[in-house]
Amino acid sequence: MNNTIHIPPDGPKPYANPYLAGILLGLVLLASFVILGAGLGASGGIARMGASVSMCVSAPHTLGSEYFGKWGAKPLNYYLVFMFVGTFIGALFSALLANRMRIQVERGAAASVKRRLGYALMGGLLAGFASRLAQGCTSGQALSGGALLLSGSIVFMLCLFVSGYATAWFVRRQWYD
Amino acid sequence: MINTLYSLDTLGTPMAFFLALLIGIGFGFALERAGFSSSRRLAGVFYFTDMAVVKVMFSALITAMLGLSYLTAFGWIHMDKIFFMPTIYGAQIVGGLLFGVGFAMGGWCPGTAAAGLAAGRIDALVFLVGTIGGSILFNELFPIIGGLYRAGDQGVQLVYDTLGMSRNAFILVFTCVAVTAFWLAEWAEKTRMGRSAYLGSPFLKAFSLALVAVALGLFVLSPASTAVTRAPTGLATAPSADEKILMAKVQEGRDHIMPEELADRLMAGESDLMLVDVRPPAEFNTYRIRGAVNVPLTQLAETLQPRKNKGVIVLYSNGMTHPAQARDSLQRQGFVNVYLLTDGLQGFRDICLKPVSLRPEPMSAAAVARINAWRTFFTADDVSTLVGLATPLASGPKPHVVETDWLAGRLDAPGLKIIDLRPQPEYNSAHIPGSLSLNVESLRGNVGGVPSMLLPATMLAAQFSLLGLNPSDTIVLVSGDKLHDSTLAGMAFERLGHLNFAVLNGGYAKWIHEGRPADSALPAVAASKYPASQDADRFTVDFGTVVTALGKPGTVIIDVRPTDFYVGQKSDEARAGHIPGAQNRPFTEDVVTSSNKVVALKPRDALSAAYALMIPSKDTEIIVHCRTGHQASQTYFVLKHLLGYSNVRWYDAGWTEWAARRELPVVNVAQVGGR
Repeated sequence: MNNTIHIPPDGPKPYANPYLAGILLGLVLLASFVILGAGLGASGGIARMGASVSMCVSAPHTLGSEYFGKWGAKPLNYYLVFMFVGTFIGALFSALLANRMRIQVERGAAASVKRRLGYALMGGLLAGFASRLAQGCTSGQALSGGALLLSGSIVFMLCLFVSGYATAWFVRRQWYD
Repeated sequence: MINTLYSLDTLGTPMAFFLALLIGIGFGFALERAGFSSSRRLAGVFYFTDMAVVKVMFSALITAMLGLSYLTAFGWIHMDKIFFMPTIYGAQIVGGLLFGVGFAMGGWCPGTAAAGLAAGRIDALVFLVGTIGGSILFNELFPIIGGLYRAGDQGVQLVYDTLGMSRNAFILVFTCVAVTAFWLAEWAEKTRMGRSAYLGSPFLKAFSLALVAVALGLFVLSPASTAVTRAPTGLATAPSADEKILMAKVQEGRDHIMPEELADRLMAGESDLMLVDVRPPAEFNTYRIRGAVNVPLTQLAETLQPRKNKGVIVLYSNGMTHPAQARDSLQRQGFVNVYLLTDGLQGFRDICLKPVSLRPEPMSAAAVARINAWRTFFTADDVSTLVGLATPLASGPKPHVVETDWLAGRLDAPGLKIIDLRPQPEYNSAHIPGSLSLNVESLRGNVGGVPSMLLPATMLAAQFSLLGLNPSDTIVLVSGDKLHDSTLAGMAFERLGHLNFAVLNGGYAKWIHEGRPADSALPAVAASKYPASQDADRFTVDFGTVVTALGKPGTVIIDVRPTDFYVGQKSDEARAGHIPGAQNRPFTEDVVTSSNKVVALKPRDALSAAYALMIPSKDTEIIVHCRTGHQASQTYFVLKHLLGYSNVRWYDAGWTEWAARRELPVVNVAQVGGR
């Protein structure tokens, strides 16, 4: 990948103390509970985009389907869609501020772009599907539901780590240097 | 006390979208600060090379958990203002396992991928494309995996209840687990990578101690949460602020209503009290508490949606199990105004309806009077309230339903025309004197390829001319055993802008049963010139209008066909099922057939209560349809002319057309194996 971004001589700034970043994230989550009455979410917004794509392909089919159908003809009119856009904007702000914006396929030096993107696509497909099934992802279920101490969310989080560790070995080559 | 947007039901407003955007910005900023815009860093958790995921995620989780607990302890926010997701073990276990595979493979999760995209990661973009695809795939496979999606549904389950611990104890244990995880994460990095930024550092020691201290503080601040209780956070029963006054009438903090209280409130005619009988229709038809409406369990959430968190909904059945399950299910869907009748129908009978003479206990005169008042009110025959539908046709708006008495006194009135819609042999043998015979099927025909459509205005006007009718006539429509014959003829008059028509309640059967005059003479008719008004029909809609309405939240579509056709068990058409989002209320629900074959409309207040459940307000846009438009004409009539809904439309082509047009969406509940 050609790097078209101008890199200032001082390079990217290091990441924040993870515990303090965690506290910041926790406070944002708390604000979300107090203001919206609902936690953070990412996959919900993405699924709405999926429904929107589906509407473009065939509106009657989408409206007639049992899952997307209940979101109506304008699935993007939903607070989580806006939250998702905000997530992008906030991260962009932080990345620019810390000079961490790099257009690249992040991977191990010895791994091919094809392998990495193939895994990313497949992983995305699974995560997108799974987050619909579980009604949330790491943000909505594990983090937000976990902070509310919901049994299902904590079970989701445990399962996520168990299968993540079980899978990691098989997909390790994408990170080989 | 803070009211969240969720508790105010305003999460769908532009204001909420704006606030969600701001919170999203904070979310994205925090993720990027933490280094979650790097897939390598995220994936590192699975190889013990970079444990940031554990550190950030648990710090955030513990912070929010403790923060919320403190805010609650200070009384600044109540847990019932927050949306709690249901615990569905099957879906969340399988979903969690699949998600973990996707996370480890992709190196991203949905939220971090948004941050990664912002930091220029192309692999994040590809991952996001994958998640959109995965969501679409889920939707396509939903008919197959719908069972798994609901497998092991427990409702709102809190982990400390599941484990039988007190809230405070669990929070302390959870905090200690997180602190241990932090130290293990640092240790893992040190072992694997040879360096750890925080292992044994003063910062991590202080941070660990602070978290545990804050968790311990809850025992002092919120001693109530130290007791082991069942779901104290009840999404459960506490009403939201604006419902408080209303709900205060109901025993505070309880989810039951006692039979005595229900009886008094029903007798007082409280309009915001909705009594729902969840027993099978057969049992409901045999006996019910006066004022109750019958909603099958499977349609409860859909049907009660307009009453969600408005007023009080009371569920009852013979016992307590079904209503309790229904109440739990409704609560999971955000209803906070659902109550149970203590001891169900049996309890109501024992406490309110049992005659004083059969009660062993001594009673005060006041108690006896109260019971007798209940008995008088609740044992009154429903059908006896049938009378009084029609008011005398004097000045003011003309009634659209008239009783036999009314007609008997006006047989010779000038300008009054009686139209008999029964089959011709029956008309020939005897009819109300002076009535004209009209075959209702002659008003319909094939229009644009769709059979059984109400004919165009010009053709209807030609028929009315042959009958010698004039626009100034008062028309009385008389049916046999199908009241909807009268209402379909009414549609023909409305199409011509002729609103001065009325339906004879009970039809010819009631008339003759009451021993009123009849003869077999054919009336003398001089043909007239009935003008064909072209623009009076603003109520007939085509499928295009229905498709548009599908996406519009406010529109209520009512499918009046029998329920087995609605669910798709039975079909006479190209496809079985119903229009997405359509509610089912069979037209037969609006009439009662008595033993002498008299078909009459149900009492107005019964109809009013039933439709109030389905339709939020009198100006809600409503579309009614059946198979050919015939049955739906009756529902149209009830809604528009009897109950005064102002925005009723009639999809005449109905299921005949919808089923045949394969591009239109259909929901078939029977086919996907139930809900």
